[in-house]
This record gives sequence, C-alpha cells and structure tokens, in this order.
Amino acid sequence: MNAGATKQHLSRWTSAVWNVIGAVNIRAKILGIVLGLVALMGVAATIEVRLLLEQTLTNQTYERSVAVARDVAARATDLVLMRDYYELFRLLRDTQANNPDLRYAFVIDSDGTIIAHTFGSGFPVGLRDANTVTAHEHHRSVLLTTDEGDVWDTAVPIFDGRAGIARVGLSLVAREQTIAAVTGQLLITTIMAAAMGITAAALLTWILTRPILQLVELAKAVANGDFSQRARRWANDEIGALTDAFNTMSEALAQVERERAEREQMRSQYVTQIITAQEEERKRIARELHDSTSQALTSLLVGLRSLADRHRSPELKQQVEDLRGIVGHVLNDLHTLARQLRPSVLDDLGLAAAIQRYVADCRTRSGLTIDLAMPGLNNERLDSALETALYRIVQEALTNVIRHAHATTASVVIERRTDRVRAIIEDDGCGFDPASLSGDGHLGLNGIRERAALLNGHLIIESAPGHGTTLYVEFPLPAPPEERYEQHSVGR
Amino acid sequence: MSSILLVDDHAVLRAGLRLLLDAQPDLHVAGEAEDSRAAVAQAAALQPDLILLDLSLTNCSGLAAIPSLRTAAPQARILVLTMHDDEGYVRQALAAGAHGYVLKRAADAELIAAIRAVLRGELYIHPALTRQLLEELLPQMPPASPWESLSEREREVLVLVARGYTAAEIATRLNLSPKTVETYRTRGMEKLGLRSRAALVQFALDHNLLTST
Ligand SMILES: Nc1ncnc2c1ncn2[C@@H]1O[C@H](COP(=O)(O)OP(=O)(O)OP(=O)(O)O)[C@@H](O)[C@H]1O
Ligand SMILES: [Mg+2]
Repeated sequence: MNAGATKQHLSRWTSAVWNVIGAVNIRAKILGIVLGLVALMGVAATIEVRLLLEQTLTNQTYERSVAVARDVAARATDLVLMRDYYELFRLLRDTQANNPDLRYAFVIDSDGTIIAHTFGSGFPVGLRDANTVTAHEHHRSVLLTTDEGDVWDTAVPIFDGRAGIARVGLSLVAREQTIAAVTGQLLITTIMAAAMGITAAALLTWILTRPILQLVELAKAVANGDFSQRARRWANDEIGALTDAFNTMSEALAQVERERAEREQMRSQYVTQIITAQEEERKRIARELHDSTSQALTSLLVGLRSLADRHRSPELKQQVEDLRGIVGHVLNDLHTLARQLRPSVLDDLGLAAAIQRYVADCRTRSGLTIDLAMPGLNNERLDSALETALYRIVQEALTNVIRHAHATTASVVIERRTDRVRAIIEDDGCGFDPASLSGDGHLGLNGIRERAALLNGHLIIESAPGHGTTLYVEFPLPAPPEERYEQHSVGR
Repeated sequence: MSSILLVDDHAVLRAGLRLLLDAQPDLHVAGEAEDSRAAVAQAAALQPDLILLDLSLTNCSGLAAIPSLRTAAPQARILVLTMHDDEGYVRQALAAGAHGYVLKRAADAELIAAIRAVLRGELYIHPALTRQLLEELLPQMPPASPWESLSEREREVLVLVARGYTAAEIATRLNLSPKTVETYRTRGMEKLGLRSRAALVQFALDHNLLTST
C-alpha cells in the first residue's frame, strides 16, 4: 500500500514535470538544457577549485611558516646567547622584509620574556601564550584566527630550548585574495561559455526547427487540399528523410486528386451529354409528333369534314362522323404525349409558361391543391439548359409529392434574383428522413441533385416524418452583362 | 364572298382546308403560302379579307410574322390556327394583333364558325382557352391585411420564409431552434389565412415585403 502511494506520487510528479517541459517549444528546451549544463559545470568547477586551492595554499603557508621559523631559530642562537638584541631585531626585520606575508616574528628567552619582536608599538595581549613548544619538539604550528585574518603561528625551540623560542606568524590573507580572484575568473569564464552555448543552441534549434516548421506549414496546406507545395530538403539527416517521405506523400495525394478530378470531370461530361442527348431526342420526337403526325391527322379531319359536307347520305355522314371522333381522340392523345415528352412551351415561351401549364395539368390529374408563385420570373428567358433543368426538377418533385407524400397542399415557388434562381417545392404531406435516402433504385431525388450539380447548383432537402417535405434547389446566374450601362450609352 | 389566304407549311393540310373552305358558299381561298416570307408577299399582292395562320412554320414562328402581315394587308383579319393549346400562345398572338385563335384539333368543327365570326369583326378564341384569360381580368380581392397583428418574431420568420431561406438558415439567422421557427411560421401563416409557401410568397409580393434586405 505504501509502495503504491509512492508510485502514485512519483507518477504525479513525473506528469507535472512533463507538463512543464512538454508545454515549451524545442528552442526553449534546448536553451534550457545548455544553460543548465553550463551553470552546473561552472558552479561545480568553482567549488572544487576553491576547496583545492584553499587546502593547497594553507599547506604551503604552513610549510613556509615552519621553514621561516626554523631559519630564524638557527640564526638567532648566537645572538640570543650573546644577548645582542639589536642584531636580533635586525634579523627579524630582514626576515619580515624577505617574506611579505610574514605577519609577525618574535623571540622569547628561556625565562619567557619577549626579547625582540616586529610589532612597532605594543605587543598584542595573549599572543605570547597562544602557541608554545617543548624543548625536544621539532616545531609546533597553530592556526590562529585574528581580526586581520587567519595566521599560521609556528614556534621553534632555539638551541634545543636552552636559548628560548622563536615564533613567526604567516598571514593567510593572500590565500583569500587568490581564491577570490580565481573564483571571479572562473565566473567570467562560465558566463562566456554560457553565452557561446546559447548562441550555439540558438543556431542548433534554428537548424533543427526550420525544416520542422516548414513541414508543419506544408501539412496544413495538405489538410486544406493544396497538394502542390513541396518541402525543401535542408540536410541529409533524419529530418531530410522525413521531408522526402512527406514530399512523396504530397505527390501521391496530388496524383490521386488529379485522377479523381479527371474522373469526376469525365463523369459529369458524360452525364451532361446523356441529359442533353435525351432532351434533344425528346424535343425532336415531340416536334415530329406535333408538326408532322398531328398535321397529317388534322388534314384527315378536314378532309372528312369536306366529305361529310358534300354527300347527303345520312349513313355515310354518320360513319364519317365516327371517323372524325376517332381521329380527334388520336390527335388529343398525340398532343398529350408530345407535351409530356417535352412541352414546346418551354422552348417557345419559356419556363414560367411551361411551369404554369405543368402545374395546371398536375392539379387536374391529381386533385391536389398546388399553389404557384414565380417572383422575378416574368417573361424573361433564362439559359435554355437551366430552364430545362428547373422544369424537369419541378416535374420530378411534384411527381414525388403526388406519388409519396399524401399531401393536401403543395406549392411551387420559383424565385429569380439578379444573381441566382431558386426553386422551392413544398408539400404538407407525410415527409421522410432524407438521411435514409439510398443511392440505388431512387432516381428521382438523385437525378435532381445530379442535374443541379451539373449547372453549379445544389439541392437541399428539408423533411422529417410527419412534417412535410421541402426541396430547395438553387442555381447561380451569370452576372448580367452591364445592361444598364449599355442602355444609358444608347440614350434610351 | 370573302377571300382567304392560307398560311401553313403542310401541303396536305392546305389542300384539305382549301377543299373545305371552297365548299362554303360565302368563302373562297385566294392563295396559299408555306412560310412567312411568301405569306407577307401574298398578303400584299392579294389583300385578302382573312389570313388563316399556323403558328409553327418551317423557318420562323408564325407569331413573329403577324406584325408584318398586318402592315402588308392592313384590312385583313388574322385567325390563328394552331396545335398549341397554351394560353401563353393565345396571349402573345392577340398581343401581336391576331383576331382569333382556333385549335387544329377543332378545325373540322369550329373553323368555319370562327372564320365567320372573325370576318364579322368579332374576336374568336377557342372556349377552352378563354377561362384563364378572363380570370386575370377579374379584380383580385386583396384580403384585409392582418400583417400588423403578427408578432415581431412571426413577421421576421415569415419574411425570411418568403425570401426562400431554408428552415435551417432561418434558425441560425434568428438564433432559434428549427422547431420554434416552424411554430412561428405555422402560427403566422394561420393568422394571415395562407395555406402554402407559394401563397405566402404571393402575399409578400403583394405587400412589398421582399424588396428591402
Ligand atoms: N415529397 C415527398 N414526400 C414523402 N416522401 C418522399 C417525397 N419525396 C421523396 N420521398 C421519399 O423519398 C424516396 C426517394 O424518392 P425518389 O424520387 O428519389 O425515388 P422514387 O420516387 O422512389 O423513385 P423514382 O423517382 O426513381 O421513380 C421515395 O421513395 C419516398 O419514400
Ligand atoms: Mg421519384
């Protein structure tokens, strides 16, 4: 249980640290690492050097203080025995002059009296008893802490202790100064190293991140469907390999996209051709029925009428009358057939007239109430392909209403604006779920969508079970060719 | 005796018509033409009392020929004889200056009567086609507008519906749910006594609700 808690704790910490590290960008990461390393190295080296230096200098001073003390003791022997205090004093002064860090030197006779010293005035209290040495000792050193810094105090017996003791104090102040100077030097070096490290790291991150940032831009472009851009290969490393892989991928995607676009283009060309051919064929047959066949039948009608007029026999008259009835029926049927194939009104009089006629036919055929409004669509003609498409769309939509909707009221709105034309076919029938519409078997709505797409239009179906159905089909219209301006220049 | 010029691109039909008309004691066919150019020339030369004109001629529409026929033979009456039974054609023919409109499928039964009527100076239109023309002449009763009685929201929704926005678009525009939009729409249309979207569009047109943005 305890181990589990620790583990949990640890993972919490790891994730907290990772949150911080992960949040900053690569440049900050690399700079952080470099700065951290340099600072760590600098501090460690400084501490190490300081310790080493301190020890070495302390030892050196100690050895020198022993050497100096022994030298003084040797040279002082005769002078002490001869009680030549003046020469003794000069000896101490010379020694001090030769050793700049010699803080002090003095000689104590065997009675314990100070017989010569380097202190100009007044001998410091307690210094005499701070260190002592016995006669058969070689020397004794003590590290004294004074208000002028540390001092190595060494006592050496003179003439085996019979002529007193020589004492010298070597100051350690120089040691502190040296350490301070070296530390300062080290710090400066560390800062310079850090500065160079930062420059190097900045350069490194630039080299590292530039291709990555470029790849990021490229990936965004690809996500937006632009496959044309290629990444530049900066170096021969792993990032270079990534760049190559990326470029290959873009190339492949672009190829796929090109092929798709080509296929789509070809498909819509085929569909356009099929639709156009179908309309042309229907138009031709309708015209044929209308112009030749019907005319011939009309001639027959007229001929029968003349025949009846010229003969008196009631029997013959009756027969001719029957024939006329039959021909009249055939003529009517042909006419309806031609109109269903393709109403000549659409070509001769335009969309508004054709729709009016078709809606009127639907009303009589289905008994449905169908309201019609065509704002902005007076007698101006639209592009004939567009008129055909709109007519067929309304035809299919109303057919669906009659076949599927069980509606009581339907309405057709065709609204023409300057830049677009919109057809809305709505019913108050049973509705359906447009999302459940499958592609196969149902040519109607898919045909509408297809026809719309071919002329840059689109279909929106709004319907839900129990809420009726509304079809919106919208086509863009080309901008009118500066009509107003032309009229103006003509002066009308 | 009234002289008649036959204009039709169908020779057999022209022959039949000539037979039929010449059999009438008071009528005779003075000439025939099969396209609009020949028709204008014949009309100028013959100055007939009546021109029997088909609307679908080979090279151009009979409709387009009416004005030049009228200038070529100003006193001639023009009777259109055609397959087309759309009132749009009737309107255009009358606007161009025709005096009568007969359907070919009624040629045997009505033609003679129509010719006589037009010659008498009357206007003859096939009975099936007159209804719609007359309906337009009837005064349209604008209903007393309860537009002002609608709520602000109902009016906003109805105007957008009339402008052709989808329910989804209206919902986003007005910051409403599609269901609420439907409710406002149904309620508003009920108050206005409108039964369908097309009726609403017509109402909006009549009340100038579509113009401003
Ligand atoms: N106005 C409508 N009201 C209710 N349901 C509809 C309406 N229009 C279409 N549907 C539903 O959508 C389906 C698809 O319609 P679509 O016109 O695509 O095909 P279809 O009419 O079944 O067959 P096709 O039109 O090819 O002869 C229909 O079967 C019907 O269930
Ligand atoms: Mg269908």
